[in-house]
Amino acid sequence: MRNLKLPKVPRDWLAPDAGPGQGTGAETCQPAPQNSERGLSAALPRHLLRAAHLTRRQFLFVSGAVAAVASATRPRVARAFSFWRQERFFTDAEFSTLEALVDRILPPDRDPGAKELGVAVYIERLLMTFDCGGVGLYRRGPYSGRTPYPDYRLGTPSSRFPENGFLRSIRPSRLQELYWRAELYGSQAAGIPAELDAAQGGPLIGLRDLYPQGLASVDSVAIATAGQPFAQLSVADQDRVLAQLDSPGVLPIDPRRGNNTFLDIVIQHVLEGSFSAPEYGGNRNTQGWQMLGIEGDNQPLGYSIFSFELGTYRERPEHPMSTPNPDELAPDGSVVPIPLTPDGLAIQQGITQTTRFLELDNPGACNKT
Amino acid sequence: MNSDDVLGNRALTRFDVCVIGSGAGGGTAAYVLCKGGKKVLVLECGHNPWPGLDDDELPLPHHNNDELKYAVRSWIDPLAMLEPRTFRPTASVDAAINPDVNLLPRAVGGAFQHADCKTPRFNILDFQLRSTLEALIGRTPGLAIPGFGSDAASANFADWPLSYDELEPYYRHAEALYGVQGTDDDPFASPRSTPRPMPPGVPMYLGLLLSEGARQVSLQGSTLTPHTYPAAINSRFYDGRPPCVDCGWCSGFGCPNNAKGSPAVTALRRALRSGRCQLRYNAKVVQLLNDGGHVSAVSYVDGEGRRKTATADAFVLAASPIESARLCLLSPTPAGGVLGDSSGQVGRNLMFHLQANVNGFMPQRIHGQRGRAVSHGVSDFRGVEPGGAAPRLFDANGSKAVYLGGITEFGGSQGLPITDDGFVMALQLPSGVGARFGTKLKNAMRDGALSQHLISLIMQAEDAPQLTNRVDLDPTVRDIFGLPVPRVTYSPHAYELRTRIFYLPYLHQIVTHAGAQGVFTAPCDTLQLPPLVVSAPNSRHEMGTLRMGRDPATSVTDPQGRFHDVDNLYACDGSVFPTSSGYNPTLTIVAVALRIAHGIAGTRSLEEGPPEKG
Repeated sequence: MRNLKLPKVPRDWLAPDAGPGQGTGAETCQPAPQNSERGLSAALPRHLLRAAHLTRRQFLFVSGAVAAVASATRPRVARAFSFWRQERFFTDAEFSTLEALVDRILPPDRDPGAKELGVAVYIERLLMTFDCGGVGLYRRGPYSGRTPYPDYRLGTPSSRFPENGFLRSIRPSRLQELYWRAELYGSQAAGIPAELDAAQGGPLIGLRDLYPQGLASVDSVAIATAGQPFAQLSVADQDRVLAQLDSPGVLPIDPRRGNNTFLDIVIQHVLEGSFSAPEYGGNRNTQGWQMLGIEGDNQPLGYSIFSFELGTYRERPEHPMSTPNPDELAPDGSVVPIPLTPDGLAIQQGITQTTRFLELDNPGACNKT
Repeated sequence: MNSDDVLGNRALTRFDVCVIGSGAGGGTAAYVLCKGGKKVLVLECGHNPWPGLDDDELPLPHHNNDELKYAVRSWIDPLAMLEPRTFRPTASVDAAINPDVNLLPRAVGGAFQHADCKTPRFNILDFQLRSTLEALIGRTPGLAIPGFGSDAASANFADWPLSYDELEPYYRHAEALYGVQGTDDDPFASPRSTPRPMPPGVPMYLGLLLSEGARQVSLQGSTLTPHTYPAAINSRFYDGRPPCVDCGWCSGFGCPNNAKGSPAVTALRRALRSGRCQLRYNAKVVQLLNDGGHVSAVSYVDGEGRRKTATADAFVLAASPIESARLCLLSPTPAGGVLGDSSGQVGRNLMFHLQANVNGFMPQRIHGQRGRAVSHGVSDFRGVEPGGAAPRLFDANGSKAVYLGGITEFGGSQGLPITDDGFVMALQLPSGVGARFGTKLKNAMRDGALSQHLISLIMQAEDAPQLTNRVDLDPTVRDIFGLPVPRVTYSPHAYELRTRIFYLPYLHQIVTHAGAQGVFTAPCDTLQLPPLVVSAPNSRHEMGTLRMGRDPATSVTDPQGRFHDVDNLYACDGSVFPTSSGYNPTLTIVAVALRIAHGIAGTRSLEEGPPEKG
């Protein structure tokens, strides 16, 4: 009977979706079988295949693919301590490589790096969405409880906080589930028609295959460049390997993913995991937003509060809406901008120098019809 | 649970009218039809962000301040991998799959929920554009306008079969029904019989900066007149919904507290509460079953992938111009033709707004994440005389010229860290310009180099209708339903390109006077300059394809929105627009839908003042 016990999962994965209509059904995490951590551990629901195009022959083909992938799985590995990491997709070695890699993409300094922000956990949860019944792709809201309700009488924040609705998620629709299964398991395993794949440049390789392959490539390059797997290198050597990985031709590009390389995909996930709502697994304790000086989600309070007693709005002095930020406002009311870092300025100047004012420089090009 | 994707009266089995689409067109039509006593079936291909929308109490939606869910994971957008579209600039080149051909969100309540709900009216001039400009050319020596006069054959301009005066009561009703904020500070706005229901909300800092910049700019002798931007966003408690709190997650996001007057919480909810409406969501209509002159049923695929049919006495297309036209193209007549296409105009005259962007970097942080995305704009670049009845005659090197551009939005970055900063700096900028990773990326992120400093103007310029700009069926690519995907052919006309060139220096001046440095524009001519990325139009403003007119030889639908060829089929969205004007189209879509739906229902009475509760 041990198998029937729910695994230890974050509380939010278990929160039932209580809303009527769409999205009903408890968000119980159904763990993968003991020996099938990878591949299509969650069998493809039949209803996904019930599109007009899918013949019985195609269905059998897909079923065969499911079986083939499921047999090529790996043994479950021993659990090492990792805060917030509950269910496992990666081996310990892979997870170490991933944490080290993301931590050089967004490195720690006076603010936390991507590792401390929980980016690797964010990525692992994304890859394991369907090990938990497909929950967690879309957080529900409407409020997180990080800001209170407004007091519409006074036009000030009240002391009443809503519950955290971000802990609940919305069950994907049939098409959304098909899309995410293709994204994670690959388009063929998800049952996307071959013609639709062909029109888009061939089959899509799933993230659950890309990640183990990509992390292995990272370690190969690390060993070739600096003699050790990535996680065991010094920070300076890691940065050397990272620059190597970013050189053209070192990692293959994927035409189905916007000609991005594995490194591009990880960079994208670092940004997502660092700055999305913490309920997705990263941005731990909203430290990602704090380092940017933003509040992130701010409903139901917002930045202007109508007071029906005053008949007008009040703004929040520390987060003004219609006036400059207080830290850039001199006592005489003038604006004193805080200078950007050379890195931020370089981005701005790079954009203006490369795009310039093209249409006026070259108006003839625009008159061509 | 998916088999129960139903809102409203589940007991209904027999319907007078079936409406395809639940957005600004379809949701509005359903409301009027139910109010007029009709039993209405609404079919919506998207999912439902408002469980319990038909309950006694208006529910809070599943919308939240969540960048990942909307901007990255496309929760209410179509999934291009499963339902791609193809694009080509002209018929002489092959179309290719393009992920960004004006994809409109798909969900109960339609695309407007995901906009910042801007609701200016069109000008008086717009409804008689062709006859007015032809007359002007006739009496003005040397005046040439691309697409008119001797050049008329290069475009397909037409007058609307109705006037502004005829539409004005419906505009008034639309503003009351959807809850519009705004005031009379735009001299070019059309005359109105009543004030808008609510005053403007709190101004955004960046809107005030750009307004100040605009007041220092002169357009051939007249100083620009920036104004507050009308929007269907509550600035007061109105219609049982709270005032907007300016959370900032506006353009591109659903509204968590229902302050946005999106169709679901205004018109559609009223229909659902009438007892005469049933809405089935996750219901993708794939064909209109017809005998050539009459539609008997629609075929759709439900949320479980099962093919179903629905019958009604009349049918209303409100699936957006590209998809409404595609449904006609997917519905052969017994004679082998396209339904409703005796004019040969189905899918043609597809219009978007040709947007012009001018941007700059402000030295201080301008916190675009606080506000309604846009609180101010300027309408001088629409190029009309005050009141909007006549075009303005400009001087162009000694001769006269007309430049009908569009309303210009004062905006900036919305302060989104992942998509406005991170993705752009690390993944989209060319190597050497961006910051791929490391301390460089982290410093630029903390600066908010783009998200906290980018200031931006967008002109929504009028787009000429052209027979060659069209949607048809792609000959090879099929979507996940096995249906041919829409193929969009689109190139801008000299009418709008010339207008854009005329106004760009003034946009440039506004941004400069606002205090921005490094003013730049996104290149306009990406359709035709091969070294640059070939991009498809993505204004999200779709119009045309089922043009409304009196003459069955040159239009698809009649002045009442009914197909000339099909006695029980109507179009009720932006597809009926003969021209595109230079203003955000949704309020006009609602006004036109009110008018068409009253015609179908046989009701003529209009509500006065704010709508009733409930």
